[in-house]
Formats: sequence, C-alpha cells, structure tokens
Amino acid sequence: MVPIARRMLFTDRRRALLGVAGVAIALVMALTLDGIFAGTTRQVSRFIDTSPADVFVSQEGVRTIHMAISLVPGPVADEIRQLPGVVWAEPVLFSSDALRVAGARRPSYVIGYMPGGRGGPQILVEGRDPGPGEMVIDDSAATALDIAVGDEVEVLGATWTVSGLTTGMTSIVNTSVYVTFDDLATALASERTASYILIGTEGDPEAVAKSIEAAIPGVESQTRPRFSAEERSVVREMSTDLLSIMSFAALLVGLAVIGLVLYATVLSRLRDIGVMKALGLGRSGVTRLVLIQGLWTVTTAFILAVAATFGIGAVVAAIAPDIDVVVETASLLRAGAGSVLVAAIGVIMPLIKVWRVDPATVFRSPL
Amino acid sequence: MTNTALTATRLDKTYGEGTTEVHAVRAVDLEVRAGEVVLIMGPSGSGKTTLLSMLGAMLRPPSGQIVVDGHDIAAIPESRLPKLRAATFGFVFQDFNLLGALTALENVEFALNLGGVTGHDAHQRAEELLTGLGLGDRLTFRPEKLSGGEKQRVAIARALANQPPVILADEPTANLDSKIGHDIARLLRHIATEEKRAVVIVSHDTRLRDVADRILWLEDGAFRDLHTMATDPICGMSVDPQGALHLQVDGEVIYFCSTACRDEYATAGSPGRHGAQPMLSEEQHGER
Repeated sequence: MVPIARRMLFTDRRRALLGVAGVAIALVMALTLDGIFAGTTRQVSRFIDTSPADVFVSQEGVRTIHMAISLVPGPVADEIRQLPGVVWAEPVLFSSDALRVAGARRPSYVIGYMPGGRGGPQILVEGRDPGPGEMVIDDSAATALDIAVGDEVEVLGATWTVSGLTTGMTSIVNTSVYVTFDDLATALASERTASYILIGTEGDPEAVAKSIEAAIPGVESQTRPRFSAEERSVVREMSTDLLSIMSFAALLVGLAVIGLVLYATVLSRLRDIGVMKALGLGRSGVTRLVLIQGLWTVTTAFILAVAATFGIGAVVAAIAPDIDVVVETASLLRAGAGSVLVAAIGVIMPLIKVWRVDPATVFRSPL
Repeated sequence: MTNTALTATRLDKTYGEGTTEVHAVRAVDLEVRAGEVVLIMGPSGSGKTTLLSMLGAMLRPPSGQIVVDGHDIAAIPESRLPKLRAATFGFVFQDFNLLGALTALENVEFALNLGGVTGHDAHQRAEELLTGLGLGDRLTFRPEKLSGGEKQRVAIARALANQPPVILADEPTANLDSKIGHDIARLLRHIATEEKRAVVIVSHDTRLRDVADRILWLEDGAFRDLHTMATDPICGMSVDPQGALHLQVDGEVIYFCSTACRDEYATAGSPGRHGAQPMLSEEQHGER
C-alpha cells in the first residue's frame, strides 16, 4: 500500500517538525515532572531503603516517617530483642527542623541514633560519627550551604559541630542530619521514648513483623519494602493534585498543537483529499488517513520526548545532584496513553473537515 | 448482447430554491458505447460539470437513472459509491489533480490500491502503465518536477489503472500547449479504440472534435442538436442561432457566442467585414 498518510504529513517537513516538536515538548514537560517527582519520592524514602533493618516498628497506626509523629516506649526495644527471629533491635528518634548556618537554611530531618549503631549514616565520605554536641550532615547540603567538617550549625535551637559528611541523603525537598540518640532525646525532652525501632531479623521478615505485633500491644510493625512504599505513597498523595494539574496542562498543550497541525495539514490538502475521494477513497479510508497522521505525530513525538527526558535527567544529574529525574515504566505508560488520547481528540476537527469534503470539487479549478 | 458502457436516462439536477433556483441539468439522456469517444461541449454554466459529476457518481441525481457496468449508480447507497468509482471510472482532470506528496509511480499505485490491487502487483502494473505512456524515466518524480504533458499522462495512467469501462475527462487539454494537447487527444482516442473503453470528454477545446465519434452540445442543462448550431467565427464555439447575437454581412447571417466576439468581428475583422452593422435579435433587443 502506498503510505499516503505519512507522505502527506511529512511532505511539508517544517510543519510536520513543528507539530512533532510541539507535542514532544508537552510530553517532555509531563515526563520530566513525573521523573522529578519519582526521583523525589525515592529520595524521601532513602533512609528506609538504605537501612540495614529488615523490620521497622512504630507507634500503632503510624505507618510513615513523613507527616507523622511516632512515639514508642523505650522498653519496647528490649522486649522485641527477646522475640524469636530478632537478631538486633535499635531505637532511633526522628524530628524535623531546618539546618541553619550564616542566614541560610535547609529543611531537614533530624535523626538520633545509638553511637556505633545501625541507625546512623550508612556512608561517611568525610570525618567521623557524631559524638555529644556533634552531627553528621549530607555532603550535598554542605556544599550548598558552604559548610565544612568542624564548622558550627544550628538545629532545633542548639548549636552543633559538624563531625562528618554522609552522602545521598539530600533531596529537592529536604536533607537529613544525624546526631546521637541522647542529644536528640535531650533536645526533644523525650528521654524514655523512641520514634522507631529498627530490627534485624533472621528468617522471614514478614513473619517476624507479624510476631512483633502479636506479642507487643500498641505498635505497628512493617517490613522495609512495605514501610518504604508507605512513605513514598504519602508523599505521592500529597502531590497528586499538583501533578494532575501539570499533566492536564501538558495534555492541553499537546492537544492544541496536534489539533492545529493536523487541521492545518488537512486544510492545505483539501483538494488532494477531494481527489482521493473522487478516485474511490471512502469515509473509512479518509478516517484512517487522518488517524494514521495523528498516530505518526504522537508516536514520533513520544519517542523524541522519552529520549529528551533521559537527556534532561543526565544534564540535571550533572548540574544539580539533589534533583533526581527517574523515568519510571508507569510514567512512560501514562505518557503513552496520554499521547494516544491527545491524538484521538486532536483528530476530531480534522476528521469532520475531511468527511465534509465533496469529491466533486475536483471538477472545479483550484482557488 | 449490447456494447453500451454507460446509459443516462432523464437526468435532472436543480440547485437552489424559489427565486434562486437554477436548473443545471434538464432531462438529459445519454448513451455511450464501449470504444466510443463522446465530446460534450457547451458554454460556461451550461451544466457540463454537473453532468460529469453525476455520470462519475460524485453527485447523486434527484431523478433519472445512470447505468454503468450493469449498476444503476443513482440507486446505489452512498457508502458504496467510492468503491464503485474506483472500479468503474477513470478520471482525467483539467488541473491533472495528481497527489503532490506522491511520486508518479505512487499516484498510479494509489489508484490501484483503491481498486483492491496492492503490493508487488500494484507496483508492477503502475510501472507498466507509466512506461507504456512513455514515462519510464519519470517513475520516481513528484508531480512538481513533471511538465504539463507528463502530468496529464500520469493522470491518464492513473485513470486506466483499474481498467475501468468508462473514462471521464474534464477539459483534459485545457492547461496544455497545442502540440501536447493534440497528443493527449490522440491518446484518449487510442484508449477508446484499442482498449474498448467509453471516453466522455467535457471540453471547450475544438481540437478534440477531431478525435470524437460524437459531439454533443449542452446548453442551459439540455443537449441541443449540433446540426442546427452555428459556429462563432472568432472563437470557434458552437452557437445556438436561437436568440444568439448575430451580424448580417453581404446577406449572410453570422452568429456569435458573446458581445466581445461580435464586436471583435465587427471592428477588427477582415476587409469587407469592417464596419458591418450589428443586427440584434428581437429577444436581445427587447432585453435592452
């Protein structure tokens, strides 16, 4: 078969390029936003994901760190250590504030952990674990705020000396700092409670989590993957409206572009369409022609947009390490479905136009 | 067994209503045999295009019958007409109407695709047709790279692609110079004679008279008897003497299609005709 739809679409290369570029830009907007969001949600759960703990215990009903306050009585850690399948159990305290230095500030989680324990920074790129009055901060935040090991910073109304630098704990939203459990307990006036208990297990973590909930009343016990998923979902739920609005805006832009391009293509080729109808192209044929043009436009745009988004991700990673652009399969599927939707709606006006073309116009001189 | 390719009976078409009503075609009867070239002539606005649109199944006549290849196309549902057009008619247009996005070969292949021939078969047949018309070295050329005569030959190859029994040509020589126009006229004649197709040509071009088996004069939507028609000596157009502008020169009545032709004849004609006084018919005189 002669590829008439594609030929007609791409004969005017400039118009076709503008159309594809317009739709691609709209898709890049949606994909990049989705990618930044996915990257951010991953960063938000990084403490959980990089922790050696298999199970996390929190106050009953509290299933996240973000947007939650969990208080677990101190002796609970000792009780958990006695349970079968539990190898170790360590309490951590969590709070949030801002890391302040010389007038600059950065929102921050404050994590209090037992010195030498497993709740602290998993990587130290410089310096050492914090002692009393000291803290470890993330290297990215340190660079942004021009802080070096040995400098003093302010958190929770107290002054702390930076003893070391960790990495990978800063996101577009916030950073994390580590202090000793006792220092944070003093700062929070919460000396006989923990926020969470981190647990190392042997055997099936799921079974251990269930046995903890069965043995100890008033606690919530989750495996690492489940706790991490809960953490990401709370962040996602908080941003759903914003994402929906941005995605809708991108959809509208794409729709306007593809609609205009296809309509302009059809308008410029009305006589050709009349000729094709005169020669024997039926209603289904002209419908297929316009639909194929729509699909060609969005498919080409989609491929370009995906490539461009990966490119943007690489550039962003190089110039702004705090921003992680993660292109997930689900995001690609959403963008693909959106593209098909855009094509389906965008072809409506051109279709109405071509359906109305009278084949007898071929006997009239062109305007 | 009859060799009639196309029969139109009592065709009518009216545009508008009330005071704006225009009777474009009035009770036209037409029969065209296979192998015959019929030339339909007539002044602008006489209904030629409307008639051609109806004969080509692009415009449905409100009354009358058009039988082609055993089908009454006036009675066929709208949805089946495109397929019927592809199989039954070959169209040749004044403006060639080639698809600009396709090469010469693809223009013919596309018509074959519409007729249900695809792939290698379509490619091969299109190539054969174009080569047969002397365009073997122009297969991959886009229409914009072809001359007028080449374009019209591609259009004729396209019209022949599905071996239709009827070729409908609308002013096929209008945009061509004299020599090329003559070649195209001969080609249409050849198609009728050698391939036994019925060829209906609508044109103002008097050169096409040479290749036509029959010439029909359409005026005000109805065929007139050409034997009773006079010829305008300026433009060569046939003129119905009834109500036409005319001059009386040396006792001979000369008829004209328009005031312009009459005035040109009267003021710039050959010696002896110069200064002849126009004699208006009573009808036209009355209009003044």
